[in-house]
Formats: sequence, structure tokens, C-alpha cells
Amino acid sequence: MDALQTKVEPIQKTVGERIVLEKISGSEILLRSLIEEGVETIFGYPGGAIMPVYDALYHYADRLTHILVRHEQGAVHAAQGFARVSGKVGVALATSGPGATNLVTGLGDALIDSTPIVCITGQVFAHLLGTDAFQETDVVNTTIPVTKWNVQVTEAKDIASAVAKAFYIARTGRPGPVLVDITKNAQNEIIEASPYKKCEGIRTYRPKPLLQNSQVEDAARLINTATKPYILAGQGIILSGATDELIAFSEKTGIPVACTLLGLGGFPTNHPNYVGFLGMHGNYGPNVLTNDCDVLIGIGMRFDDRVTGNVNKYAKQAKVIHVDIDKAEINKIIQTQVAVHADAKEALNALIAKCNSNQHREWINRFRALNEIENEKIIQKEFNPSGPLVMAEVIHLLSEFTKGEAVIVTDVGQHQMTTSRYYQYKNPRTSITSGGAGTMGFALPAAMGAAYGAPSRQVVAVIGDGGYQMTIQELGTIMQYKIPVKILVLNNNFLGMVRQWQELFHGKRYSFTEMDNPDFVKIAEAYAIKANKVTRREDLAAAIEEMLDFKGPYFLEAVVGKEDNVFPMVPAGASVSDILLEAPQKI
Amino acid sequence: MKQDFTIELSADNNFSVLNRIVNILNRRRVRIKKLMGFEDENDFRRGGVILLVHTTADLAEKCKLQLEKLIEVDEVKVHDGGTFYLELSERIVDVD
Repeated sequence: MDALQTKVEPIQKTVGERIVLEKISGSEILLRSLIEEGVETIFGYPGGAIMPVYDALYHYADRLTHILVRHEQGAVHAAQGFARVSGKVGVALATSGPGATNLVTGLGDALIDSTPIVCITGQVFAHLLGTDAFQETDVVNTTIPVTKWNVQVTEAKDIASAVAKAFYIARTGRPGPVLVDITKNAQNEIIEASPYKKCEGIRTYRPKPLLQNSQVEDAARLINTATKPYILAGQGIILSGATDELIAFSEKTGIPVACTLLGLGGFPTNHPNYVGFLGMHGNYGPNVLTNDCDVLIGIGMRFDDRVTGNVNKYAKQAKVIHVDIDKAEINKIIQTQVAVHADAKEALNALIAKCNSNQHREWINRFRALNEIENEKIIQKEFNPSGPLVMAEVIHLLSEFTKGEAVIVTDVGQHQMTTSRYYQYKNPRTSITSGGAGTMGFALPAAMGAAYGAPSRQVVAVIGDGGYQMTIQELGTIMQYKIPVKILVLNNNFLGMVRQWQELFHGKRYSFTEMDNPDFVKIAEAYAIKANKVTRREDLAAAIEEMLDFKGPYFLEAVVGKEDNVFPMVPAGASVSDILLEAPQKI
Repeated sequence: MKQDFTIELSADNNFSVLNRIVNILNRRRVRIKKLMGFEDENDFRRGGVILLVHTTADLAEKCKLQLEKLIEVDEVKVHDGGTFYLELSERIVDVD
């Protein structure tokens, strides 16, 4: 993971008075284009239709680090983890047919979570398109619903411009995944190479809206007269690099801030105006008081159903200001009084200038009072339990030992919600999770990518026993490249979140959610990864410390209570203000 | 209440752009009653689509915003009713 040189050698020679363009293959054009876009690391898996690119890659090993994953899904999630932690575009490479379709889950995940990645797939020869050739899948049409943009290239001359456009689209505006499908003949074709031209604009694509002063003034007017204003901060804060602006805005106006799942880290949890985590398993105060505020300011978030609960009972008393770079998100779920169609950072800077200095101490104290109820009824019990280990105490210790500064990559389920509740994130780009798609199997490969995207930071993957086994083969990648991720599996031998719902809403009928698991320690050791298992509370702190102190990859299994639940919880179809602090008496 | 709307859309005439447009409407379960795609007579790289759809005004507006997000799409207009569809489609057929 050393810094690699990124210079591409000159592609033109002077012969006498003539300038002669160098002749290279489409594959080499692709690799040079990637280098020109600043790519240093590619996650991929070879196969028939992408072999010319891999052949060229052999000669570019000094400039492009290729990480051989164990499944294409691992490649795309690793690219996501890389992108989320670094803010750069992640790159995945795969072959045609099943190689390409194995990317689909990650593409869908990246689309809904606004993650900039470029996936490059090989395709059969152009003359075989549509003939059901070996490993031919119509990947462009397959991935239309899960990409921001995609394109098929059938001639070498179009490769560089397609790559330039792909990177431009992936990283600008609301970021997202792009797929470039390149036929094998285009990879093989030898043509004269032209200097690479970065894409600087597309006629029909306007990624960054112009901030409208009238919208800012309308928003400021509402904010300046509000008595109970409330900010919901989403991932848009992180994507636009607006954490400092959000802090400044909150401090000037005195407005409390809660974060969505993907917004975690966008506002420091130790800030006095931070009031908690939003959503189905979020904190008590932020959920309840959504239905009490008078002005609700959603910034860079999309009023996801896990945040709103029943929309018919959501913040009906409030005037809603929605700041978002994506116009299609405004009024999609919640009717807004003032739409600010803009990049979050620009909008916040304008709002800071227009809004009055204010304090809302009594209002913030109401959040504190409700959160104190949650603290007494739930948190203190979870931090000081008896009986088997509970997820919350594990995460609490992890947060303390890492001072809330590690990159935490979570999968999906109970461990994800517990981590989001109890890890005290201090910085942006430290919470990496599959939010909108809820992709089990995301965390292990995404953590690998995060380790490459942030090589100087501690990366910890927190995973449940179910999700871990969905991409467990990536232990092979971790072994081969000695990727220094820490893998913390919270094992309850259940698909825990589904079991929780079965317990609470399906009469405790545990329909196919209990798992007989293998010996995870032996599996990790078989991959030459140092491993440990902890079952007793008195051994937990030392086990976590040993994991964090170890130089290199480390696996720790924490065996937790089988039937613990995550609370609070907004039941499906309920209002956010009806959030439960414990299981209903009558099930 | 559902009614007919004419969606008039101009776009770059790339492969798969029509699929993208139809996908957005399908995903929202908007009924497409008629559809006509055409290439710009002066520039084959540009073109457009007109669609007669049956949906609510709210959903028509939401689909318009999602269609405008498509990279190749230049402009989207939504007109009440189907009269405009007939006028536009006749005009396109006359040109051909």
C-alpha cells in the first residue's frame, strides 16, 4: 500500500519533424486512463472476457496495485469501502457473464448509498453480442436500474473517453456507481494513443445546482423565527465535506443536530448540540421530538422510511426545510415548505451568513431529558449486564479503546444498529455501512477496501455471524495481502434482527433464523489470521485490546446472548414518536 | 386521481436511454399507454421520446424529476392530457 507513482509515460514520439503517436492496445488505454484519473488500487477478479486487460495489467504492476479478491461481490464492496473512507472513486474489475452479474448487489448498494465507484467489466467480442455466446450477459441492461450511468464500449478509440466520462459522473453531483462494459475486441485492438482528456462536463448533465438566494432567504426566515428548530444531518454533509460548516451553523443558531445512519460521523457525537442517532433503532429523544419540533431542517438526507416511520404521522406540526443536491429527493417522501436545491456545504455557508445567532437551551434539554430516560432504561443495563456478553458492552469498549477515532465498517442487522448507537464517532468517513440496501456480506470486503483507502487508520469490521459467512471467502484476500483489518464477529448463532422481529411481531416463531456455525477461530487460523474467541466478560477488555494492538489482520469472535434485542425500536408502520423502549407486554 | 399525461423528453440518442426512461416509469408502476421514440432529423446523436401515461399528477411530477436525473436526458416536460401526445406524434410521423 505504498504510494505509487502515477505518471504515464509520454505517448508520442518525434521522428524527424513528424510527431508519431504510439500504438497501444485498448487494454493499455484503459489502464493509462485509470492512472490519469488518479487510480492506484483496483479490486478485481480475472476471467475470459477481461483477459487482455489482465495481460496489460501485468506490465503496469508498478503503477496500479491490483487486489485479487475471492468473489466479484468482494471487489465491488471493497471498492465501496475504499471510496467511502477516502472520498475518491473506487474501482472494481470483473469479467463478463457471472463475473459482471456478481457486481450487481454492490452496484445497487452504491447507488442507494451515493458511493462513487467505477466498475469495469469485460464483454464478449462485439460480433458475438446478442448470440448467447459463452459468458455473455447483457450487463448494460442488467445494471441500468443499479447504476448512475453505464456504457458499453465496442471500439478501442472510445475507451478513454468512456472512462473519463465514467469518473466524472461517478464523483460529481450526487455520487454514484458507473459501469463500463468493454468488448474483448476493443481490449485487443491496437490503435494510436491520444493524450488523455479528463471529462469536464456533459451537455445534458448538470451535477451541481446553482444556489438560489431566494431559497436560502426563505429557509433563514423560518429558522430565525423558530422556537424548536431541529437539524437532521445525512450523508450529504460528509460527501460535500461540510462537517465544519454544520458545526458552525449549529453553534451560531443553537440548533440541535441528529444524524442519520449514513450521516454518522458528519457531526461529532461529543458536541454539546449533538442529540443522537435517528431512525428505527435510534435514540429516544431524536425520534420522539421529530414530532414536536416547529422547523425540521433535513440536510443531505432523503427521509428514508427507516428514519420517518409512518410518513402520515411524521412531523406533521413542523415546517420542513430540505437541503439536497438531488432535486428528485425533494418532496419525494416528505412535503417541504422550503426546498434548498444545493450542495450541503454551499447551502450551509449561505445559511450561516443569513441566520441569526441564537440559543435553544431549553429545547436541547428536552432531548437530553428523553435521552436520559433511554440511558436509564436501556443503555446502563446494556453496559452493565449480567449473564452472557451483550453486543452493546462490546461496542462500548471498542469505542473507548479507539477513542471513537477508528474506521468502523459494519454489516447489516443487530450488530449494525448496536454499533451505530454506541460507537462514539468523532470524524467524517469513519462509519462505513450498508445503509439503504442493507446488504449482508458488505462489511468484510468493504473493510479491506477501507484499509487501502485509509492506510494510516485503524479499520475494524464489526459483523454478525450471518453476514460474516456471506463473504467469508475474502479471508483469503486478507491473508494474501496481509490487509491489517480487525474483524470483530458478534456471534449469537442467529440471524439476530430477523429473529428479533419474529419474537416481537411473529409470535416467537423462529422460522429458519437459528444457525449452527463452524469454528470461526479455526477458519481464521486456516487463513493464517491470528484469532481469538471471547465468551466471558472478564476476558473481553483484554481480548479487544489484544486485537487492536496486533500489527496485521486479526479475528475476534465475541459470543453474545442468543436472544438479546436492540431497543429502542420504532415498529414497522408506527410513528417515530411511538418508539418503544422495551418489548410490548402483549405480543 | 389518475389521469392522462403527455411526457415530452429530449435526450442524447445513446443505446439504452429508452430502457432507462421506461425503467423509471415501470419501477413506479406508471401505466404507459403510448410511446414514440424518434431521432433528431438534423443530428442522429440526439433524439427524444414522447409518452402518454396514466397516473396521478403527483407521480407524474416525481417521475419528471427522476427522468431529468438521467445523464443523457436534456429536458422533460409534462403536459396534462393526451392531446399534446397526438399533436406531437402526428408532427413526427409527418416529418418521417
